[in-house]
Amino acid sequence: MSETMALARPRLGAGGEALAGLMLCLPATLAYLLLLLLPTLAAVLLAFTDYELGAPALAWIGLGNFEELLGDQGFRIALRNTLVYVSIVAPVSIAGALALALLIEAAARGRALFRAVFFLPVVSLPVAMATAWQYLLHPTIGPVNAVLAQFGVAGPAWLTSSDTVLLSLAFIGIWEAIGFNLVLFLAGLTAIPRELHQAAEVDGVTSAWERFRLVTWPLLGPTTLFVVTITMIRAVRVFDSVAVLTQGGPNRASEVLLYTMYTEGFTFFRLGYSAAITLVFLAIVLALMLLQTKVLDKRVHYG
Amino acid sequence: MTIRLTRRAVLALPAALALPGLARAQQPVEITVHYAQPFIFKPSYDAITEAFARVEPNIRINYVTSPGYPEGTQLLLRQAATNQLPDLSFQGLNLLRVFAERGIAQDLMPFVTRDGAPAAQGYSEGLLSLGRFSNYQAGLPYAASTAITFLNADLARRAGFDPDNLPTDWDGHIRLAAAVKERAGGADGMWFAWSEWMFQTLVLGHGGRMMTPDERDIAFDGAEGLATLRLHDRYVRETQMPALNANTASQAFAAGRLGAFYWTTAVVRNFIQSVGQGFDFRTLPLPVVAGVPNGTLATGGAAGMMTARDPAKREAAWKFLRFATSPQGQALMAMNSGYVPCNQLAIDDPQYLGAFYRQNPLFQAAVTQMARQAPWFAFPGSNGVRITQAITNNTARVIESKATPEVALADMATEVRRLLPRRS
Repeated sequence: MSETMALARPRLGAGGEALAGLMLCLPATLAYLLLLLLPTLAAVLLAFTDYELGAPALAWIGLGNFEELLGDQGFRIALRNTLVYVSIVAPVSIAGALALALLIEAAARGRALFRAVFFLPVVSLPVAMATAWQYLLHPTIGPVNAVLAQFGVAGPAWLTSSDTVLLSLAFIGIWEAIGFNLVLFLAGLTAIPRELHQAAEVDGVTSAWERFRLVTWPLLGPTTLFVVTITMIRAVRVFDSVAVLTQGGPNRASEVLLYTMYTEGFTFFRLGYSAAITLVFLAIVLALMLLQTKVLDKRVHYG
Repeated sequence: MTIRLTRRAVLALPAALALPGLARAQQPVEITVHYAQPFIFKPSYDAITEAFARVEPNIRINYVTSPGYPEGTQLLLRQAATNQLPDLSFQGLNLLRVFAERGIAQDLMPFVTRDGAPAAQGYSEGLLSLGRFSNYQAGLPYAASTAITFLNADLARRAGFDPDNLPTDWDGHIRLAAAVKERAGGADGMWFAWSEWMFQTLVLGHGGRMMTPDERDIAFDGAEGLATLRLHDRYVRETQMPALNANTASQAFAAGRLGAFYWTTAVVRNFIQSVGQGFDFRTLPLPVVAGVPNGTLATGGAAGMMTARDPAKREAAWKFLRFATSPQGQALMAMNSGYVPCNQLAIDDPQYLGAFYRQNPLFQAAVTQMARQAPWFAFPGSNGVRITQAITNNTARVIESKATPEVALADMATEVRRLLPRRS
């Protein structure tokens, strides 16, 4: 957005051109205002009211919703589950994607094939995939437990036991995220000049690990930073797999932030409270973005 | 939510235009009817609409649906606030209370008595009580469901039981499930579809109640509630009941890997399709609690409530509701869903469903336990859904062996008391 606005700034002796520029970015500006900024603002305002769906009136209750959030057991569980989910999905899918990207990059053949194979989960429909996972992880007739039984291991009830449900959902999350991260890392890897590796070799760095540590990893910094941020934001947003597979159960073991927001707003009709949860979610996402732009950005860009 | 014209209504339009004389003779009326759970109910409403159009060609019906009962309640509450209510709405039997307490549902008794004594029309006292809240007839039951036993008779036989002479109480069924688990080649013995509704079903089955008659306090935290949770505990410990949910358990049952499945009769149609010829599939009444002769069953299902304001539309809406709950309408409903009919004449007079039940014995289990149907208790106040969740969540703790029945029941009682409206 800011780039397009900058382009539209009037230049010397180009009044007509500036006007045309302004007109050209008007549709996008309007859409941005109407579809993004205004609804966000409405949600922010709602968060400070006690509005309920269908209620004739609403009252300004200030921080009332947030005070209730602090004491709400369900919200605390959802927040904790979301953090656990992110702390599993983000590191594993990032490290896994990097390892795969290095392997594929080093491969002599089949690069396109592997790229496509690992990218498939990203373009597939999450709800349809969730149904496939439900079958795969079925405790009694699912293939996963059937394979485990071959080795004499009694597989757990992956998605229907409160001990394993979050782990299973995290695994599905990793499966979804890894292909996306892989493509980003592959793009980052191709941007590293080959000469640097050759120079390192000439300088006596012979082990592959040392070359990775001294050349690839530092030069991959900006990519890694972007991948870390986007993966964490995407993981905080987990919703469809929970809504389709577990509905937050059993006994709230897979209740996550956005699912709580959904049930508060659309099952219990409490839109004000639901908006307050949305604000918490927004704050987390904004904090992650700040972390990227303010803190880490300085440490990965050289020169 | 979808809004659609019925095929018949669309076809009726050119016909009405072509016959102006007939159309003038009786003004066509258009009414909007709302119902929930189209994936279960659509065939039954389609059949009734078609039959109704033959009797009342001048009444056109526009349908509005919502995916589940709670969504339907939410939709109607929102529409009530914005004055956009449909003319007739079919709501979950336990959610009708919400509309009775707010005065949104109109009293149906004046309509019913206009056509004679209620019992003579098939509206027996027991059926009417399912839709009576706040001391008035807020709804007329359209479909009733109770929990039944879905049995894999092949597995029962392999476990050494005679499927024609199975025990009828829970102790016997637990023995059956344990035997299936042990002897039927790795299949699981049973799955009980634990939820608030099933909790209530067992509390009523033990002769207990959810709240005291004056609704000043809960009543499920006594001996009957404890016995209910202990029964859940026994399913897990004595039959090694697997950790499933309704979806995965249905899949396991259809795959022939589950001896017995205790759930609502509403899914019998879907089960017949998913099981196919896979095994000897039977349905039986829900096991009873030994020594409790007066045990009852929580009755799920839907009831039609009147919300029309315009007199002409109200008259047309009543005609449709009367038809849908008539012996003929209820016979169509029963044949096109798995539910129990809500008209005594449709049940007693074999001309309506006699032949159907003879040819489709799987539909009969719920009918045989009709005499034990009791209202699905709806908690007062605005926290109904939360209370339901609190009961379900604490039941889950027993199912997962994370809490003893005693602890779970005490926590359940505390949570529900906090969610009930305060009384001075």
